[in-house]
Amino acid sequence: MKRTLLLVALAASLFAGTLYAHHSFSATYDTSKTVMIEGKVTQFLLRNPHSFLHIAVTGKDGKEEAWNIEWAAAGQLGGAGVTRESLKVGDPVAITGNPARDPADQRLRMVTVKRTSDGFNWGFRQGQTVD
Amino acid sequence: MKKIAVIFGVLLAAGPAIVAQIPSPGFGPGQAPGLGPLVNGTDFSGTWRPNQLVTDSQTAAGDLADFGGIPFTDAARLYALAWPASRQTVKQHQCMGYVTPYFWYAPGNYRIWEERDPFTQRLTAWRFFGQIAQGDRTVYMDGRPHPPAYAPHTFAGFSTGQYQGNVLTVTTTHLKRGWIKANGVPQSDAATVREHYIRHGDVVTVLAVIDDPVYLSEPLSKASMLVRQAKDPDAWLYACDDSEQIQGRKNDVVPSHLFGQNPYVREYADRRKVPLLAAMGGAETMYPELANKVSDAAAAEALVKTRMTPSGPAIASRAPDPMPNDGQIHTLHVAGSVYMLTGDGANIAVQVGPQGAFVVDTGAGKLSEKVIEAIGKLSSKPIQFIINTSFHPDHTGGNAKLQAVGADPSLTGSFFSLQFADAGQGATIIGHLNTQVRMQDHKLSPAPSDTFLEDRRRKYHNGEAVEIFPQRFAVTDGDSIVHFRRSDVIVTGDIFTTTQYPFIDVKNGGSLQGEIQSLNFVLDRTVYIHDEDGGTMIIPGHGRATDEWEVAEYRDMLVIIRDRIQSMIRSGATLQQVLTARPTADYDPRFGATSGAWTTDMFVEAVYTSLKNAPKIDAK
Repeated sequence: MKRTLLLVALAASLFAGTLYAHHSFSATYDTSKTVMIEGKVTQFLLRNPHSFLHIAVTGKDGKEEAWNIEWAAAGQLGGAGVTRESLKVGDPVAITGNPARDPADQRLRMVTVKRTSDGFNWGFRQGQTVD
Repeated sequence: MKKIAVIFGVLLAAGPAIVAQIPSPGFGPGQAPGLGPLVNGTDFSGTWRPNQLVTDSQTAAGDLADFGGIPFTDAARLYALAWPASRQTVKQHQCMGYVTPYFWYAPGNYRIWEERDPFTQRLTAWRFFGQIAQGDRTVYMDGRPHPPAYAPHTFAGFSTGQYQGNVLTVTTTHLKRGWIKANGVPQSDAATVREHYIRHGDVVTVLAVIDDPVYLSEPLSKASMLVRQAKDPDAWLYACDDSEQIQGRKNDVVPSHLFGQNPYVREYADRRKVPLLAAMGGAETMYPELANKVSDAAAAEALVKTRMTPSGPAIASRAPDPMPNDGQIHTLHVAGSVYMLTGDGANIAVQVGPQGAFVVDTGAGKLSEKVIEAIGKLSSKPIQFIINTSFHPDHTGGNAKLQAVGADPSLTGSFFSLQFADAGQGATIIGHLNTQVRMQDHKLSPAPSDTFLEDRRRKYHNGEAVEIFPQRFAVTDGDSIVHFRRSDVIVTGDIFTTTQYPFIDVKNGGSLQGEIQSLNFVLDRTVYIHDEDGGTMIIPGHGRATDEWEVAEYRDMLVIIRDRIQSMIRSGATLQQVLTARPTADYDPRFGATSGAWTTDMFVEAVYTSLKNAPKIDAK
C-alpha cells in the first residue's frame, strides 16, 4: 500500500467538549486517532447534513481503494470559501482524519485537507472543524 | 448558570404537578360552531435557541451504549445495541427528520409564531420551525380531531394544543419512528407525545412526556429549555440532500451489530465509571433501588449479560391496529387522483378520472358492495381496469363483483373490457402470469385475463402513466407493484405492509431475497419532499398510507434479520435453534404475532427456508 498511514495521538484538547452536531461524531468515529491518506479526488459532494470527499488511494499492489471522507456542512464550508469548484476530479490531496469505528466503511472524518499541487487547504485555521 | 440549573431541576420534578393544578379554561364560553374554540394564553412568538446546559445534559445524540434513565423495554435495548452509527450513511437515513421531543434538542435556531384567522383574529395554530432539519410543526388550536390511524405519519406528527392556564399543552400523534437518543434508542411510530410549554420571561421550558407502547415500559419525561434571542438570527435554512456517502456499497447492505456482538457496549460505562447495568437503561435505572442491584458487582454483571441477547417468550405487536375493523369501507385521499380504500382485507387503491376508475386489488370480497359504493362516490363511470398484485384471496376476493360493475355497453368492441370476447361486460383484470396460474390452481375466480411475465405492463389512463412492474420471488412468484406516475403513488401489495412481517409465501415462490430486492425496487422510484417526508406516497398491502421512510425502515429490518439468521445458518444452526434465539426480538413489539394467520415463527421459518434454498437474485 502506497497509502501513508500515520497513527497520530492528537491532543485531546483539539476536540474537547461536547460535539454538537447533526449526529454524534464520537459514535461514528474514533476521535482519539488520526490517520493520514494521500490520493486523488474522485468526487466532491457539497451537501447537508455533511459534505463528502471521495478519494482514490493507490495501494502498494497498485490497486486503488476508495476512501470516503466526511466533511463539514455545505453552509459551513461556504463560509470558509469552499465551493463546488474548489476541488476537482484528479486533484492530488493529503488528508488527515479520524477513522470510522466500522473499518468496512473506509471512512474518515475530515480534520485537514491539503491539495499538494498548489497548497489549497482547509482545517488549519480556527473554526475549520467538522461538527 | 447554577441558578438556572436549580430552576430547571425543580421544574423537571414538579412540572406534571404544576400542570395538573392549573385550571383549564375549557372550550365552553366563546366557542362558536365552525370557528373552533376561543383560546387565549401565553404568547410564545419569537426566535429561540436551545439552552446549552440542558441540551448537553440530555445529549440529543449521546454516547454509544449510554441508555441510563430511559425506561425502555428489553426489545428497545436490543434495537439500540444492534445500531451502529454507520447506519446513518444508508441513503434514506442521511436526511432523517426529527420527531418531537428530540426536535427541541437539535442545535440551531427556532422560530415560533402564531397563525390567526384574519376575520376573527382567533388563534388557529402555533407554528414551530427548527433550523436543523428544517423541522416544521403545526399545532392546531381550532379543536379539530386527529386524523384516522390509517393516515400517513410524518416526523412532525399531527399536533393539537390546548391552554391549561398559562401552560400550552400539545398532544402529538402520527409520528414516524425516530430517536429518543440518536445513539440507537428508538421512539416508535406508535408513540404519543404530550408537551407542556411553560414560559418564564425569556425562557420557555418544554416538558415532554412520551408514551410509547412499543418501546417504553413507562412514560418517559424529557425537558428542554429555550432561550429567547433578542435579535432575529440570519441562519434558518439547512436543506438536507442525500448522496452516495459510502461508494460501492450494495443496496442490500444495512450496517448492524449481531445480538451480543456490539464491541462498544462497555465504552461509556467504563469511561464514566458507571455500572454497566445502570448504563443499559430500562425502568429500573430511573429509581433509587438500582443502587441495591449494582452493589453486588458480580450479580449485576451476570444480570446485565442476560440483557445483551433476547430472552423470555416471544412478544406480539403492541402497536395499535391502524385499521378501523368496523365493517365499513374508509376512503383516504392519498395524492393526485389516487385514493386508498380500507376495511375489506387488503388495501384497495383507486385512481379516478374521465376514463373511469383504475383499481388495484379488490379486497377480501366480504364488503364488496360497500367497496363499490365507495368507488362510486369517487367516480360515476364504470371501473375500467383491475390489477391484482397477488393471487392471495385478501387481494382478489372482490374480483367478481368489481369486475361486474365495470360493464359498459358503450365500449362494446373496445379492447378495454374483458378483452375482445366479452367486450363491454366488465372491467379488465390485469395481473402477473403466475397470479393467473396460481388463482386457477386454487380455483379462485375470476383470475386476470390480461397478463405479463417479465416486462412491465403499462397504461396511460385518466391522464397519467400507470406502470405495473412484475416482482418475482418476493411474497410469491407473481407479485406486482403499480406506480401512478403523475399522482406519484406506488401501490406495493403485500411486498410492504405497516402491520406485520412480510407474508413470504415460500410454497408459492416467495423468498426473503426477492422481498428485499422488491423493496429496493420501490425505493429506487421514490423521492421525498423534505427530510424523508412526503413526495412519492405508498399504499401498502395492509396498514396505513405512507412514504419512502417506512419502506426503507422495513427494508432495513429485513436485511438486519437476514444477516442474523444467515450468520446462525453459517454456524450450523437448525431452524429450531434459530427460532429459540428470537432473531426478530427487537422488532417483535412492532410487527410480531404469536397467533393468527402469520406468526413471527412462520416468518422466521420462511426466512430460514429462503436462505437455505436461495433463489438466484443479485443485489445492485
